[in-house]
Amino acid sequence: MTNNILMRLNGVTRTYHMGEVTVNALGETSLDIYQGEIVVILGPSGSGKSTLLNIMGGMDLPTAGDVFFDNDNLGLANDNQLTRYRRNEIGFVFQFYNLIPDLTARENVELAADLVDEPLSVTEVLSDVGLADRMDHFPSQMSGGEQQRVSIARAAVKNPRLLLCDEPTGALDYQTGILILALLVKINRARGSTVVIVTHNTPIGDMAHRVIRMRDGLIAEIRENASPLPPERIEW
Amino acid sequence: MGALYKKLWRTIGKTKGQFIAVAAVVTMGIAVYIGMTTAYFNLNESKDQFYREHNFADYYFHVVKAPQQVTKQIEAIPGVTGVTGRIQKDVTLVNEHNKRATARLTSYTLPMEQEINSLQLLTGRFFAAEGAAARPGEQHTRTGDIEILVDPQYAAANDLDFNDIVTIVAEGKTIPLTMVGTATGPEFIYLMKDAATLLPDPTSFGIITVSRERAQQLLNLSGQVNQVLVTLAPGTDEEKVAQQVKSILEPYGNLAAYPRKQQLSNAMLEGELDGLRAAARFMPAIFLGIAAAIQFVILRRMVRAQRLQIGVMKAIGYNSRQVILHYTSYSVLVALCGAGLGTLLGLALAAIMSQAYAMYFNLPATIGAVNNQAILYGFLLSLGVSILAGLTACRSITAISPAEAMRPEPPKGGGKTLVENLSWLWHRLDTAWKMSIRSASRNRGRFAITIVGVVFAVGMLVVSLFTIDAVDYMVESHFHQNQRYDYLVRFAAPVKENAILNITRLEGIQKSEPLMEIPAKIKFNGHSEDDAITGMSPQATLKRLFDHRQQPAQVPEEGLLINQRTANKLGAKVGDMVEVETLLGIGPARHSPVKIVGINMQLVGGGSFVSLEQANRMLQERQLASGVMLKVDPAFAAQIEEDLEEMTGVSSISSRQKDLDNFNQNMDAMIYSISILVFFALLLGFAIVYNSAVISFSERQRELASLRVLGFSVKEVSGILLKENLLQSVLGVALGLPFGYLMAKGYMNAVSTDLFTLPVTIYPTTYIYAALGGFFFILVAHLLGVRGVRQLNLVEVLKNKD
Repeated sequence: MTNNILMRLNGVTRTYHMGEVTVNALGETSLDIYQGEIVVILGPSGSGKSTLLNIMGGMDLPTAGDVFFDNDNLGLANDNQLTRYRRNEIGFVFQFYNLIPDLTARENVELAADLVDEPLSVTEVLSDVGLADRMDHFPSQMSGGEQQRVSIARAAVKNPRLLLCDEPTGALDYQTGILILALLVKINRARGSTVVIVTHNTPIGDMAHRVIRMRDGLIAEIRENASPLPPERIEW
Repeated sequence: MGALYKKLWRTIGKTKGQFIAVAAVVTMGIAVYIGMTTAYFNLNESKDQFYREHNFADYYFHVVKAPQQVTKQIEAIPGVTGVTGRIQKDVTLVNEHNKRATARLTSYTLPMEQEINSLQLLTGRFFAAEGAAARPGEQHTRTGDIEILVDPQYAAANDLDFNDIVTIVAEGKTIPLTMVGTATGPEFIYLMKDAATLLPDPTSFGIITVSRERAQQLLNLSGQVNQVLVTLAPGTDEEKVAQQVKSILEPYGNLAAYPRKQQLSNAMLEGELDGLRAAARFMPAIFLGIAAAIQFVILRRMVRAQRLQIGVMKAIGYNSRQVILHYTSYSVLVALCGAGLGTLLGLALAAIMSQAYAMYFNLPATIGAVNNQAILYGFLLSLGVSILAGLTACRSITAISPAEAMRPEPPKGGGKTLVENLSWLWHRLDTAWKMSIRSASRNRGRFAITIVGVVFAVGMLVVSLFTIDAVDYMVESHFHQNQRYDYLVRFAAPVKENAILNITRLEGIQKSEPLMEIPAKIKFNGHSEDDAITGMSPQATLKRLFDHRQQPAQVPEEGLLINQRTANKLGAKVGDMVEVETLLGIGPARHSPVKIVGINMQLVGGGSFVSLEQANRMLQERQLASGVMLKVDPAFAAQIEEDLEEMTGVSSISSRQKDLDNFNQNMDAMIYSISILVFFALLLGFAIVYNSAVISFSERQRELASLRVLGFSVKEVSGILLKENLLQSVLGVALGLPFGYLMAKGYMNAVSTDLFTLPVTIYPTTYIYAALGGFFFILVAHLLGVRGVRQLNLVEVLKNKD
């Protein structure tokens, strides 16, 4: 693991207006993300972790502050630039997988592969996540774990520098959850992708290089983990 | 983009009912567009080509008789490019079994190429001029025979063939003519005797063409002509030239002068073309408009339902343009399917229409061209409309931020509906009605679009069925209200009233009333209009007249009951004095001032009325009659008809029954086209209601499943959807009925001509049938749209998010 900064958040805030109510989802937050690390962001629901993830992923813009990725300030990016950023740099893994129901596993992955110039092999990536023999199944024919593996394959096939995972194990049972986490570590090792995992499940922090705790829209603590545990040894 | 296309195909597969319904509407729109445009184009081209190749005249002049050299003088007028002097006269035809018919004997000079309104030979060969022997190799007729050509419809209706004898009565003599072929000309495309005729009837009216020399011999007009036809250079001031020609012809008794656009066949043809053009614009606009609305609704719903998927696509890195393109592709495919099928169907429709036109119009070469331009426009139109609908429906995609899309759509704003403010009503409604009303007011856009679709569909039903009413009304008023006589007998020349006695004495005649028909010019304020003035007794009962308010009108003892159209054109009203100039072929023209005392309105043809005595005064004659109306005992009808046929002074016998039969025979084609229209209207209504039902069902699956869990039965759940459907449908049907009336009015305005107008009369039963038709398509669409209620999987629906 090197200490090159991949992303730098500087005084970022996010305020939502829901009708007449104003919600401060994210207070002033500054944070660096390093190349090749695994970061786990912990916090109860409403702590601002998902907002932070959305801003990091170029899905949402900060109300104030700068978000630098490779010296580009995402805080100032327009829609096109954000789309290009998501397309080329980011892989997303969602809590509820969010597969396109009308496409098979292979096609869901192709959907992402079609977007970049040099995608990884769709079949290889699906084999890597253990779905070699389930490729032509539709999401409705797969278990949650399988769907999440497709979702990971869909994120990984673009070979992104940053893999953002929103409660990736939130909808899965323990065994399956561990398997998914192991897959993320595998991708981190093999491809050198930076992995950011958002979760409220504290033990998952044990597998991270750094653990960020959030509370009430602010970073409460950043803890470095000298020896991260392999997922297989995590228990909850 | 491969995966996105697969998604598109699967989406179409899943919504195939909706896809087929909307594609069918586009198909109909394009089919109607291509069919009508192509038929219009072909008919118009055929007409133009025929007119061009056969020097169709720009102006017609009728005189009593003029020396044929008079054409030389007319040729010298600047702007005149061609002049033909000819003889044209209606003579009595005596068929087998002594049946009477009218032949319009028309003369031509060979060679035909130079003639104005030249003939196109269809079968056989041209008649020989006097003395000219048939050329070698041609089929010979008996020497000394007078050779003629007959129009093809008359020939077909009377089974005439080469060398058959056709007998006419001219100048009191019975003369056999030998038919050597069939031919038609640009003025004979739509063959009606006069504007008062309802429909062409080839059994009773035909065209006989003959060489000019022969015509002069037959009609005792040696060296004379009675009509002058001119063609004009483009850009010539028609009326100025017409004035000059009329002053040259003045000494020879001007009877009538009219431009090409008033020539009967041309006027009928142009009227048909105008109607066709109006329909070719109006009908596709309805279908494509509705199709666009349906696509808009489908896509907007799809974008809403797939908000999450759109968010995912955006999160992975698809940009708004790509996502919009993906959803718009759906409507592009609808457009392409619709345009493709529509083109095929449209070409078939064009072929059927061209065939129908070939039956009614005597066009030798009907162009059956495939109009590539129409096909191209059809595709562009279909694509344009669909893309527009698609882009409009998908424009909200741009506004969806990928993060926002990750959240489920917030519940739609509640708020009170309009009905809820009427608390006395609201409290009387059961929960199902309340749900339906709230749902309708939540989806106001879709609600409105569905209503508009139903309004158009029901309106179209009204218009289609109105055609039957209109015809029925016409038959009723023309054949039953106006014409009370069984026979109208016309004489070859006016006779003294007492000469009619030999007719009225025939056994079985219950009533007879003489009339005097005089072609005339009515002049007012420097304007002049041609009209036919009929003189009949103020006490006459066999012909009834009606004024413009459709109230019975009586022929006055003194004064003129003027034809409404003539009065309008002249700007004359009741109380004005007009000058009448009589144009009877015999005797000099007489001028007399007459006061307008009333208005007379007729559906078909024109005609002004005076008393029989006044008609005679106008002619400075006494007790003359040109015809007689008869009411007969049905038991003697056949015998009376036979007796009348044998009288030489009788030129024509029109039988009300025969006219009615001829009319009814022609209704088959109409029933056919009405059926097509009704089918289209039902399909249109079905498509829009079906879509609305499917969408409303799928949007509320969770809600409905919850109701099922609570204990509602399948029937009760369908009932809620039906109520919602009925809410919009009843409104649509209620608005569609008056809208149909307006559409019928608009259509009538577009197709009514100088010769033919129909008041928009819609019978109550038509509204009932249209409403029933409306409820029929609504119910079918509803049943098909919500048939999924039975299969609602309660557990699944409640578990899944979308």
